[in-house]
Amino acid sequence: MSSEMTTVLIVEDEPEFRMRFKQIVESEPTLELVGVAASKREAQELIDRTKFDVMLIDLGLPDGNGTDLIRQVSAKRPDVDIMVVTVFGDEQHVVSAIEAGATGYILKDSTAADVVSCIRLLRAGGSPVSPVVARSVLRAIRNRMGGAGGNTRPGGASPENSPLSSRETEILQLLAKGMSFNEIGEILGISPHTVTAHIKKIYRKLAVHSRGEAVYEATQMGLLRGTS
Amino acid sequence: MRTRLPPAPRPALPAVPAHLRALLLVLAAVVALFVSPLARAMDIRTVDLTSTAVGAAPADDAQWQSFDLPLRWTSRPGEPLRAVALRMRIPLEAPADQAWALLLSHASTGGRIFVNGRMIGEIQSADAATEVRWRRPHLLAIDPSLLAAGENTILLQTAYRSGVHVLAGVEAGPLAEVRGAYDLQYLASSILPWVGGTLAACFAMIFGLLWLRRHDATIALVTLASGFWVLRSAFFLIETVPAGARLWLDALFYVANGGFAVVMTLVLLRLAARGSTRAAWIAALYAALGPLLLLVTSGHAAPHLDNLWLPGLIGMVVIGLAYALVSPVRKHESLQVVVVTAMTVAIAAAGYDYGVAQGWLPDATMLALHWAGPLLLIGLATPVVDRFVGILGEAEGARNDLESRVREREQMLKRNYERLREGERMQATAAERQRIMQDMHDGLGTQLVSSLMLVERDALTQAQVAQVLRESIDDMRLAIDALAQGNSDLLAALGNLRYRMEPRFRATGIELIWDAREMPEELNVNPDHVLPILRIVQESLTNALKHSGARAVSVSLQVKQVGDDTPELQIRVTDNGKGIANERVGGRGLLNMRSRANKVGGTLTLESVPGTGTRVKFVYALSEYHTGLTRTSTQMGLNTEAIIERFREGGG
Repeated sequence: MSSEMTTVLIVEDEPEFRMRFKQIVESEPTLELVGVAASKREAQELIDRTKFDVMLIDLGLPDGNGTDLIRQVSAKRPDVDIMVVTVFGDEQHVVSAIEAGATGYILKDSTAADVVSCIRLLRAGGSPVSPVVARSVLRAIRNRMGGAGGNTRPGGASPENSPLSSRETEILQLLAKGMSFNEIGEILGISPHTVTAHIKKIYRKLAVHSRGEAVYEATQMGLLRGTS
Repeated sequence: MRTRLPPAPRPALPAVPAHLRALLLVLAAVVALFVSPLARAMDIRTVDLTSTAVGAAPADDAQWQSFDLPLRWTSRPGEPLRAVALRMRIPLEAPADQAWALLLSHASTGGRIFVNGRMIGEIQSADAATEVRWRRPHLLAIDPSLLAAGENTILLQTAYRSGVHVLAGVEAGPLAEVRGAYDLQYLASSILPWVGGTLAACFAMIFGLLWLRRHDATIALVTLASGFWVLRSAFFLIETVPAGARLWLDALFYVANGGFAVVMTLVLLRLAARGSTRAAWIAALYAALGPLLLLVTSGHAAPHLDNLWLPGLIGMVVIGLAYALVSPVRKHESLQVVVVTAMTVAIAAAGYDYGVAQGWLPDATMLALHWAGPLLLIGLATPVVDRFVGILGEAEGARNDLESRVREREQMLKRNYERLREGERMQATAAERQRIMQDMHDGLGTQLVSSLMLVERDALTQAQVAQVLRESIDDMRLAIDALAQGNSDLLAALGNLRYRMEPRFRATGIELIWDAREMPEELNVNPDHVLPILRIVQESLTNALKHSGARAVSVSLQVKQVGDDTPELQIRVTDNGKGIANERVGGRGLLNMRSRANKVGGTLTLESVPGTGTRVKFVYALSEYHTGLTRTSTQMGLNTEAIIERFREGGG
């Protein structure tokens, strides 16, 4: 594996978009395309026998939901950055993908430059986030803390229980108000890069936490009685 | 001589209730106890009597007169203290070789007892200061050495004043044999009145307290009967009194008997539903007559009262009983049977006792009312207790019933509440759907249709088509942001707008400054208002981006409290561009913004200085949707009454 090259796997069922992402990756010298899958089954095979740094994945695949693949890859290969491809970047898609283990998302109509810079951001240890997603993440983490959920007072979400550090919470709160990475960096006296790194950590925590919660819920429902 | 009575016949009543059966069993047991044969040693049947001086032995030449036992003699009221000696003989075949005893059954006057001239004991007898009326038996030990083979003489020297006096029986024999008879007589004459009196006292207290709480006629009657029975028992248990108190003791007896008879009569009349105030007064007057006459005549009327007034009392109760028996039994049948049976038994016992007192019946140690009276009291109390138990049961039943009804009602309320919630949810969904439809129609739909017409007319270049499509997608994303889960947070939706527009500003080199630092973490507004507000801001930003030629655009978000009014949200979009010429202020884009602002109850002001820039200011009152995190999933204004009405109509 060359030190500078980032290997990319694309999972996208629509030929138009598959072609477009393929072109974007191939035309970027620092990126190397290692595989393209049009279905869950194809992707499964590629995941099993290919090494890659970044996976671009569409959630709606003809033979199933891509979330399973995200969960699988993030559990097996925590070093891989998973980027969800979405039409709207709406919270429902993005948050469920983050919970499964994705650390980034990109809109389907993004320009080539956007796609590349987003991959670079991910590889550099950062994650993009929109205010609506930031707010959803905040809420998701609060609700799953077993606290009073959305009724907790701003900033007072029992800090000792929260998996987020106070800095991370602060960043999410500012993001949810619509502040940019630069503005947040200025306010907090940190670089925008650090801000995105924080976001990635938050994503990871949410994914880990939602995995734990899935086990907890399954136990509650009696699905995993043997392990409880 | 005692004859053995046949065992108490068991009345052949149909379906005798359990408590009645128990009562009859007790009755039978008591009767059996009294008719059991007594061990007899030597029953003395005749006695010789002579008058003596008080405290003196009979003169040697005294005139002895022979009488059969039981012996009854009377002395008229007002007569002085008199004394008699009673002589009895015991023939023995051989000298006694064990402890002997002499049993005096109901020797009412007491006295000194001599055996063959030697005094063996003294029972308090009447003297100057004291009056006695013994009812208990007396057992005196006889030294066997005093007894010789052949005839032995027993002498009883006793004194008395007015009244009826009795020597019911004398028995002599080995102590072991006489003892049993003594015990039984003691039980009958002393213990039974104690038991009856104590029971009556308890009843009087319990029912008296009950009556204080609840003025119920039956309870009052039971209390009175018990009270009179206490007095009556006291009369039988007081055996020695100071000489002057004798009249009062007799009056007590008359009051007790009269009162008890009145109460019994009233109980029976009530059972027959013939109870009236008049009957009660007549009975009470008759009962009062006895003690009054006794006291007025200083006791001289006693013999006449005993002969006439006392049987009259019994007759009064018998009349009541007759009423009760002929009246059709209506309710609480078994309880009436209990009362009537107990009453019948008591009347029979009273008749028996009267016969004994009058000397018509032989044995004076067995006063039947001593046991029949308490049984009667128990019989009287039974209906009260039964009713009490019944009321307890009813209360319990009522409570259970109430509980189950409350539970039922709770269930119903819960169901209704759930249906109401379901209705609310459905209405909220419907409103949401309506909102989306409206939005698609006004926004994306119109845009696509107008674009289609332009494309069909070949009026657009490819770049313009791309532009139109991009705007359509932007619009759709805006709508989706506005619809995001927990969709009432305006702040995040505005933030998303900024996030989405940022690249375009960057691409054109215009700086976009976003100042939301002072804002609360969330800003919840009516979900219907999110999209219009987003569109206003989007339009302002797009205008600044496309037309202003500005180098920088700033968006400032603030929540301000103006006076005591509700806080308001102020959004200012300011650019440093060339400003808007006056003729364009009324343009279509601005008109749209204004109409949207009106729709959400906000105000839009536009300040534009040509050459300096433009400021769009939107002010929106945060009336019912507060800042912060307090939000509910649906915040639709609901017509709850209409929903309830619909449930009613739907048979809910």
